[in-house]
Amino acid sequence: MNKKADVLVIGGGVIGTSIAYYLAKQKKKVILVERYDHAAGASGSCDQMIIMQSKNPGVHLQYALASAEMYKTLSQELDYDIGYHKEGGMILIETSEEMEVMEDFVARQKEIGLQVEILTRKEAAKHQRGLAEHLVGATYSPQDAHIDPMKLNLGFAYAAKKLGVEILLNTEVTGIIQQGNKVTGVETNQGTILAPLVINAAGAWAPLIGQMVGLELPIKPRRGQIAVSEPVAPYVKGDVLSARYIVAKYNPDILEKSDDRAVQLGVGLALSQTEKGNILIGATREFVGYDLGNTREGIKEVLKNATRLVPGLKKMNFIRVMSGVRPYTPDGLPLVGFVKGLEGFFMAAGHEGDGLALAPVTGKMVADIIEEGKTFMDVSAIDPNRFNL
Amino acid sequence: MKKTQTAIIGAGPAGLAAAIEVAKAGGKVTLIDENGRPGGQLFKQIHKFFGSREHRAGTRGFNIGQQLLKETEDLGVEVLLDSPVYGLFPDNIISYLHQGKEQGLQAEKIIIATGATENPLAFPGITLPGVMGAGAAQTMINVNRVLPGKKILMIGSGNVGLIVSYQLMQAGAEVVALIEGAPQIGGYGVHAAKIRRAGVPIYVSHTVKKVIGSNEVEGAEIVALDNKWQMIPGTEQVLDVDTVCIAVGLTPLTELAWMMGCEFTFVPTLGGHVPKHNRDMQTTLSDVYIAGDISGVEEASTAMEEGRLAGIACSESLGLYSPEKAAELKRDVWNRMDTLRTGSFGEKRRDAKESLIKQSIGGLA
Repeated sequence: MNKKADVLVIGGGVIGTSIAYYLAKQKKKVILVERYDHAAGASGSCDQMIIMQSKNPGVHLQYALASAEMYKTLSQELDYDIGYHKEGGMILIETSEEMEVMEDFVARQKEIGLQVEILTRKEAAKHQRGLAEHLVGATYSPQDAHIDPMKLNLGFAYAAKKLGVEILLNTEVTGIIQQGNKVTGVETNQGTILAPLVINAAGAWAPLIGQMVGLELPIKPRRGQIAVSEPVAPYVKGDVLSARYIVAKYNPDILEKSDDRAVQLGVGLALSQTEKGNILIGATREFVGYDLGNTREGIKEVLKNATRLVPGLKKMNFIRVMSGVRPYTPDGLPLVGFVKGLEGFFMAAGHEGDGLALAPVTGKMVADIIEEGKTFMDVSAIDPNRFNL
Repeated sequence: MKKTQTAIIGAGPAGLAAAIEVAKAGGKVTLIDENGRPGGQLFKQIHKFFGSREHRAGTRGFNIGQQLLKETEDLGVEVLLDSPVYGLFPDNIISYLHQGKEQGLQAEKIIIATGATENPLAFPGITLPGVMGAGAAQTMINVNRVLPGKKILMIGSGNVGLIVSYQLMQAGAEVVALIEGAPQIGGYGVHAAKIRRAGVPIYVSHTVKKVIGSNEVEGAEIVALDNKWQMIPGTEQVLDVDTVCIAVGLTPLTELAWMMGCEFTFVPTLGGHVPKHNRDMQTTLSDVYIAGDISGVEEASTAMEEGRLAGIACSESLGLYSPEKAAELKRDVWNRMDTLRTGSFGEKRRDAKESLIKQSIGGLA
């Protein structure tokens, strides 16, 4: 196989297919290569949240809000039902210490334009049943939503194909072709593909692609273990997180002191219910390399944490577990943009747990940058060159 | 967490035989099963087994089950019942439920002997009460002594379909017809002859088009198939039945081995995806062995031999047997197994098994 394209995208997950779709809309000849299949990585082993409230007030939240706008009409645009439901979401607060952090978080989120408020426990209980007595309150935003991640992934892929994108599954990149400081294509296990622009959208595996061109990407795989309940009548309304999740995400030092095993495993509540009725109960956040397995301890701590915060879950059976690695970055923001000193190499990875929330806006921004050299948002915060690559 | 030397998952013929071998070698064994009593499918097998004397030919399945149970009891095997294993995790950690509580068990070696599950078949009306797996019907009549219905349509002419048809008749039901999609009968001629003599029509190259009924099975429409397995319009006939049994093969029950990370291979003759294993029944994970239908769907007699093999090999790896002693014991088992895998059915399976072992061995031989 010898092929040519304007742009070659590495990675067939939600980020890669979104980029391929928006690039194809710009009439680019795009080839996308994927080592296994769509939704084979994090896109097929995650929860389903497009949650605004968990985003740091700043550009992070601004990107998420821009994405949220796009989601409203995305099913129509892709002509594919991605299972979008906007039912709001809440973050459960357990201690006055957490309340302080969240009050500040919420105030700053409001400034950026997120509709969000703090509820008392009593008010929270009106939104979500089964909550624990010890909670001191919750935040609530009507803007949180969820989608079916696999449908989102396929929706982008099918729409991209319709626009002429060639998607090559079971095609693993084995090397990057370079001429001096210029990338000119990739070698795969299926043959050579030449392209003057190569986009690394390999998610948690992006560093392995980076190594092929001598880049030390600061992306690390971070495992999330999720338990899945039997299908039950509607129970979890919208998305439910715990403040500890937010604290774990942005203030890891607060947690480092803890000798609680759950805390060490990065366990934070992430609850949502699928259309079929299964409740997704997450999750751990662990650094264990590319180990995609589940552990008894991890699942136990996830379930213990969930039933501690929402005791109503105790009466349900869980039937399945899954785990996936998310692409962690040190500052919680992805790497999106051209890499300096390596012409034709573009980064679009490192979204950690925000891949779903940021997929549409990432695709749009990448296509804009490639086509016009600029986009509708300030992307300096996600410039890959902020790290010493 | 509770610890044991060898944990065996599944107390059917393979698991029981494995437990006996490890215990005989002096090992500490914990046998776990989801059912309220051990024995797997043996206790519903009221027919006599084939094979030679060493295979207890002529003995009925449930009698073999009783003998195995007595042996495990005499040898002091720990048996955990009502304990479904739902997960295997790194470091040989077994997660199971008991009395509504999650329990953990860590073992040095694990033998997975989870058996097989009945294949479904999709047709309109499949969700009506009265449509069931042939294995379920067999459990009802032979274990619970309940007749599932009076007028039966059996789908599938493998040994399960043939034997269960005969047993349903013995239990007092009428088998209205037995249908088979293939152009010939799947199981042993001797079993087929038995039900034919009893007047049961066997329709080959036929399938079920739909099952009729509003709240339960009231009839079934069958139809002939051409040589490309397509329904031939105009050949439909409606049978007056109240029960439809499905006996269209078994699939190895392999989830736990997948979860543990065993490598698999696809062997249609053996029922689908099976864990790769060597002549010691050892998988690609050195601490994990398999035995019985999980390693390829066969019969209770071969399952027991495979259980013995896994038990002996496992004991050897624990240092309970010298390599010489183990080799001698394993040779005996293989000799018996080779005699079982004869005849046109057995040879097909033997060939499939041999090629499976060959491609699995790699560095393990």
